Amino acid sequence: MAQAATVETHGHEAHGQGHHGPEGILKYIWSTDHKIIGMQYLFTGMFMGLIGGLMAYVFRMQLAFPGISVPGFGVVSPGEYNALVTNHGSIMIFWVAMPVLIAAFGNYLIPLMIGADDMVFPRLNRLSYQIFLASAILILASLFVEGGGFGGAWTSYPPLSANENYNLTRLGSTLWLSAVALEFVAFLLGGINFIVTLMNARAPGMKAYDIPLVAWMIVIASILFMLSVGPLMAGAVMLLFDQTLGTGFYDPLRGGDPILWQHLFWFFGHPEVYVVLLPAIGIVIEIVATFARKKLFGYKIMLYTAVATGVLSFFVWAHHQFVAGIDPRMANVFTVTTLLISVPIAELLFVIIATLYGGSITFTTPMLWALAFIAEFLIGGVTGIFLGASGADIYLHDTYFVLAHFHYTFFPIAIIGTFAALSFWFPKMFGRMMNETLGKIHFWGTVIPFNFIFIPLFVLGLGGQHRRIYNFQNFPELAEMQPLRIVATVSLIVMLLFQIPFFYNLFHSMRKGPKADRNPWRSNTLEWTTESPPPHGNWPPDQMPKVYRGPYEYSHPDRAEDYWPQNLPN
Amino acid sequence: MQKPIATTRSATGIPTGRLAIWWVLASEVVIFGGLLASYLMFRLGHPEWANAAAVTNTYIGAFNTFVLLSSSFTAVLAHQAAENGDGKLAAKYLMMTIAGALIFLVVKAFEWSYEISHGYTITSNGFWSFYYTAAGLHAAHVIAGAVIMAFIAADAARGRELQRVELIGIYWHFVDVVWIFLFPLLYIAK
Amino acid sequence: MPGHTDPKGERHGAQHPNYKKIYFVLLGLLVVSVLGPEFGIGWVTLITAFGIALVKSSLVLQNFMHLRWEKRIMKWMLATSVVLMFLLFAGVAPDVMKHEGHRWVNDAALAATARGIEAPHHAAGDAATAEHAAGSVEGEAVAAVPAEQTFDAKNAYGTVCTTCHGPAGAGDGPGAAALNPKPANFGDAAFWASRTDDHLVKVIREGGASVGKSALMPAWGGLYNEAQARALVAYIKTFKK
Repeated sequence: MAQAATVETHGHEAHGQGHHGPEGILKYIWSTDHKIIGMQYLFTGMFMGLIGGLMAYVFRMQLAFPGISVPGFGVVSPGEYNALVTNHGSIMIFWVAMPVLIAAFGNYLIPLMIGADDMVFPRLNRLSYQIFLASAILILASLFVEGGGFGGAWTSYPPLSANENYNLTRLGSTLWLSAVALEFVAFLLGGINFIVTLMNARAPGMKAYDIPLVAWMIVIASILFMLSVGPLMAGAVMLLFDQTLGTGFYDPLRGGDPILWQHLFWFFGHPEVYVVLLPAIGIVIEIVATFARKKLFGYKIMLYTAVATGVLSFFVWAHHQFVAGIDPRMANVFTVTTLLISVPIAELLFVIIATLYGGSITFTTPMLWALAFIAEFLIGGVTGIFLGASGADIYLHDTYFVLAHFHYTFFPIAIIGTFAALSFWFPKMFGRMMNETLGKIHFWGTVIPFNFIFIPLFVLGLGGQHRRIYNFQNFPELAEMQPLRIVATVSLIVMLLFQIPFFYNLFHSMRKGPKADRNPWRSNTLEWTTESPPPHGNWPPDQMPKVYRGPYEYSHPDRAEDYWPQNLPN
Repeated sequence: MQKPIATTRSATGIPTGRLAIWWVLASEVVIFGGLLASYLMFRLGHPEWANAAAVTNTYIGAFNTFVLLSSSFTAVLAHQAAENGDGKLAAKYLMMTIAGALIFLVVKAFEWSYEISHGYTITSNGFWSFYYTAAGLHAAHVIAGAVIMAFIAADAARGRELQRVELIGIYWHFVDVVWIFLFPLLYIAK
Repeated sequence: MPGHTDPKGERHGAQHPNYKKIYFVLLGLLVVSVLGPEFGIGWVTLITAFGIALVKSSLVLQNFMHLRWEKRIMKWMLATSVVLMFLLFAGVAPDVMKHEGHRWVNDAALAATARGIEAPHHAAGDAATAEHAAGSVEGEAVAAVPAEQTFDAKNAYGTVCTTCHGPAGAGDGPGAAALNPKPANFGDAAFWASRTDDHLVKVIREGGASVGKSALMPAWGGLYNEAQARALVAYIKTFKK
């Protein structure tokens, strides 16, 4: 690629002055370095994750011991219960899963993995984070205003969400909606950065099929997000006007239609779950290839299947509305498409399993997380099939079966995926190793209780327990299943307590962990060729890597070593 | 700030700035598309909205269409000048484009104050809600575009970052295209 | 980068269309699209208004935005976003545009259409708009329907009010269980002793909060005009014991 060579010299001259970023505390406000911005997203996301988790603790305590004064919170009123449930969902999806999986790891890894010195638009990158941070502050602020936090569920259906006489949270609902809209803007801007960087800024020699799949996945996710969120942005503006100006876009009394909101929301809401799934799968792929010392079973299969999943994800949305009053003939269509989409997703898991088969597996902490992802997500995916069939969904809709299904998908994606990625790339990010023993304690202490939280919830759902109810003792036929609720709550508390070793491990290893060299896992991709942590600019300007092969050449028969970094000429 | 090496690379052959603008447009298509699709569904389902639509002034709408088309023309002339390396001429054409934007906004301001003073507000009925929301969202994009264009014109006049003239032009043409569809939807379909 | 030369040397010099010519074509099309509706023929307006919009936007896209010379990948992405909008319309219109379907009816929307919107008296100062109102594309202008002729107060009560106020107006509908205070009991003499017709019309149209009562009684004024609300009051009087 002759043009790249010319451009390299130009770039070299531009960097000749040894450009450094800002220093000290100002670094965190003004830095445009993708690694710093990635860390900012990571820590903001983890902080919000703590908040979301504590919210779950509070409302699960209310469910297990109705009327109790929850330690650390007090007695939970029905309005507060609704606000906790609503904001738990919103925060976990928009302020934890997306920022950590896409913005944090996307920002950190993409330039490194493609051999670039930064994102193509560093200042836009900084702006994206600042807008995101503003949205996080807004959603937290919404909990403390007069009237309390919005309690109309993360799906925010009107007329409840539009009319302050119904939701009783005039300020909270508007702040909530504004926070979500602002978060969308942040991710639209960030997504453009990722997409353009991947398309254009690759190292010389890195063809499309040499790109590590996690980078592809994050970019495909960004494209999916961008294309699906538009109608919801429009819809959110309309809802905002209904809330604040008294328009009637969604008010049937004024000629509006609440079903319109539902469609606009889910047209986004369904692709959104694949927006978060694909990066998690990407992370698992990187880890599995490295710790099975085996070439990925089918790079192109994975890539095209991921694209197919993305395309199909636009055709399934109304399965969230089977009992909302949509035309039953549409329900038929959406049942078929929903059942169809399980095929490419299963394919993704099969390829990972096929990669493991015959591999030389080491059970490091990252690998344990990756394997747990497969097992738990499988359960989540399979239970989704029950819900995708409109007939079964008539019974199961809005029950705890749905809730358990999506936690068996979201938890592997957002939580297991995060821990997998963190434990894998920690040495690169901080130049030190995390403690393996603590890592394994944290792993088992998270995954086992997780199952004890949500399997009872499947049982409760099948038993007819509906969602978003404050106290099941009010329903005689459900009251007797209370022991299951208590099991779930106690397991949650156990799981939360097991996060303590993680945080200790994280912060202690950051400063005092054993020093890591460039490539402790003996992995192939470009980020492992530079220092740990990488300097500003990632490589010296005259040593930007060139790429000679794909990212998964492990255990190649012609080679003595069981790995073959992408940047070695031979 | 120095541009990173990454910004100067182009594995696709499309310069990074232009690639980014196209992606911005793709995202804007689905935002406006979502809003207009919603409007269309209501409009086609509620024939009585024709009475409300009758009030909008087709000639003002046509004039504004003329203004935006002309501003697109000056924007593309700016691009041509920038390609020839003439930053000052490009800046001049960009300023003419901004002038077009201002005329558009002033006309709209008069149009809206007339309509509002006659009782046609955003809460009057569904048609008016969509009218003000769609045209308002469009106007917000006009304002944002004009502001950014002013910065780019300032740079261009000093011969700097001339490639951005094309980029803001592409954005501007998109704003024009949205109006090309808004005009028949809000003014002609009665 | 001043005077940037695209390394692959594409799209310069020879690929500049005649911008002035395109501009004048656009203006001409604008004139046609404004004149088209003057004929008052539905399909003519459709073609001139929307067909021309498609042509104009295509001209701007291809020539001003140089999409004609752009790499295929971007054309595909833009096409995808447009196709998605058609998908959105196809998936949502059966529920939102249509007001009845397979065993469902959208009463509120049908009522809104029947209620209609009053045609404007002074069409914004130009005769052309008045003509448009007369020969509208979307169907005949629907004037407000006089309430006395077609409004069925009993049917409306059954559809809208029964849930809370109960089938016999006793304030004991299924929804009433969760309400505090309970909905008004129209059989109660004390209720009628303390309310005037005007007061009740206000409650129906502007909601309970407008008279200092519970906000749980919604404002139905968007659905029922003055005359219709009076008809409803007349109907609930029949529950008086």
